Amino acid sequence: MSAILSIARREFSAYFTTATGYVVLGMFAAISGMAFTLSLLGYAKMSLAPTAYGYTATPDFAESFLSPYLVFCGTLIMFLAPLITMRLVAEEKHRGTMELLHTWPLRDRDIIFGKYLAALGVVSLMLLIIAVHLILVGVMSPMEPAVLIFGMLTVFLMGAAFISLGLFISSITRNQITSGTITFGLSLLLYIVGNLSEQLPEGNPAPAAWPGILQQVVGRVYALFRGLSLELPVDAHAREMALGVVLPKDIGYYILFSAFFLFLTFRAFESRNWRA
Amino acid sequence: MIKVEKLCKSFGSVNALDQASFEISPGSIAGFLGPNGAGKSTAMRILTGFFPASSGQAYIDGLEVHESPLEVKRRIGYLPEHVPLYEEMSVTAFLHHVCRVKGVPRRELRSETERIMEHCGLTHMSRRLLGHLSKGYRQRVGLAQALAGNPPVLILDEPTVGLDPAQIVEIRAMIRQLGKEHTVLLSTHILPEVMMTCDHVVIINRGKIVTQSSLDQLNLSGSRSLEEVFMAAISSEEHGEASAS
Repeated sequence: MSAILSIARREFSAYFTTATGYVVLGMFAAISGMAFTLSLLGYAKMSLAPTAYGYTATPDFAESFLSPYLVFCGTLIMFLAPLITMRLVAEEKHRGTMELLHTWPLRDRDIIFGKYLAALGVVSLMLLIIAVHLILVGVMSPMEPAVLIFGMLTVFLMGAAFISLGLFISSITRNQITSGTITFGLSLLLYIVGNLSEQLPEGNPAPAAWPGILQQVVGRVYALFRGLSLELPVDAHAREMALGVVLPKDIGYYILFSAFFLFLTFRAFESRNWRA
Repeated sequence: MIKVEKLCKSFGSVNALDQASFEISPGSIAGFLGPNGAGKSTAMRILTGFFPASSGQAYIDGLEVHESPLEVKRRIGYLPEHVPLYEEMSVTAFLHHVCRVKGVPRRELRSETERIMEHCGLTHMSRRLLGHLSKGYRQRVGLAQALAGNPPVLILDEPTVGLDPAQIVEIRAMIRQLGKEHTVLLSTHILPEVMMTCDHVVIINRGKIVTQSSLDQLNLSGSRSLEEVFMAAISSEEHGEASAS
């Protein structure tokens, strides 16, 4: 455990002995602050004249302000996560310090979890910025603690998912730019795949003239594909949760997402044992 | 203390190590000699657990490297050839980190860091950033991180390469000093260096061990110099191959 913490400590301080940490947090503070101000002003207008915006009564605070704002922050982390993760392993390989890491008395898990924790540390600082925003609103209009806690948890889980993806990509690349670009590309792809599911009609696309067995197979495969494109997008599980409606499958999605990419990272580290 | 048995390592079709076997007794300073690309670094990287051998065994203190990697790594201090360092850290911060990673208890952290900095002549550079250090000082920091935690075995890959003559003399003196308490394996292709620092020689050529012996046994008196022994060992190997084909 102390080995994990000592790696995490070095990695975390590396963000702030170089410019990376300041740039990422500065960007996050500026953009999330802007989004906060704009969505709060928008909500204020709506609640002053709800009928003009098609509402019969004052729109729900959590639904029309808090949840979209938090999901936006999660998405913002998606854009910034590649900057946090791209150096994690790729830089060690490029500089040759991997040789030190692998010859010091460390297990793979110390290195991987240490780096993961350090990157999560940066995400936690982002949450701190969001917390400042929420305290500002909380002073004006009291909020349910559950909504707050699960809202923050949602953002954190989204961040952890993007970080784990980035850590894996960094562990299979030598070049930081490549690592960041692939991470960003994959995150964005997972994000917009949700728009695809809206285009896919329900039901079986196989023509009725086809033999029964073929129809069944096509139907099953199509249903699986459609289900995946509905469930896979990284923001699909965030909207409800950010309202304080917590379903095990939503939390499970993010935990499985992170676990899957951490697992792949372990395999990537082990590959040095069989790759020449 | 260090024992290697029939070690083979191939990278694709290239055999970097071919049935290499040698043994180094506790408390000796062994020079690992060989021309460029002979397999010195490969053997050292296998011994330190950086990558596994294709076949064969390597033992440190009776423990097989691939079977108990963590225990072996606790017993080894390793100076890699190009001394990779975290450029953005200061000397003290880096050595603190190394001590923590090597499991030095928290209350001994400061004293252990001071000990290795003093040993390697780094005390007056403690606040410098690693990225700003000259080659000689980088080498010292590399040596200091190898010494952290006081491991019984030191494996040094070309510790004097790229240093100025004064620094070479200093590092050699340091290595002789270290040899009193540690088992040292150092690779080099500077033959006089072996004469001056080592008491045991292992010569490797094209992945095969061609000579291993203590310096006394080599009988380097009169006209027979280490250079001649080295050249003979390397060329006999080549003649052998030529006659076989």
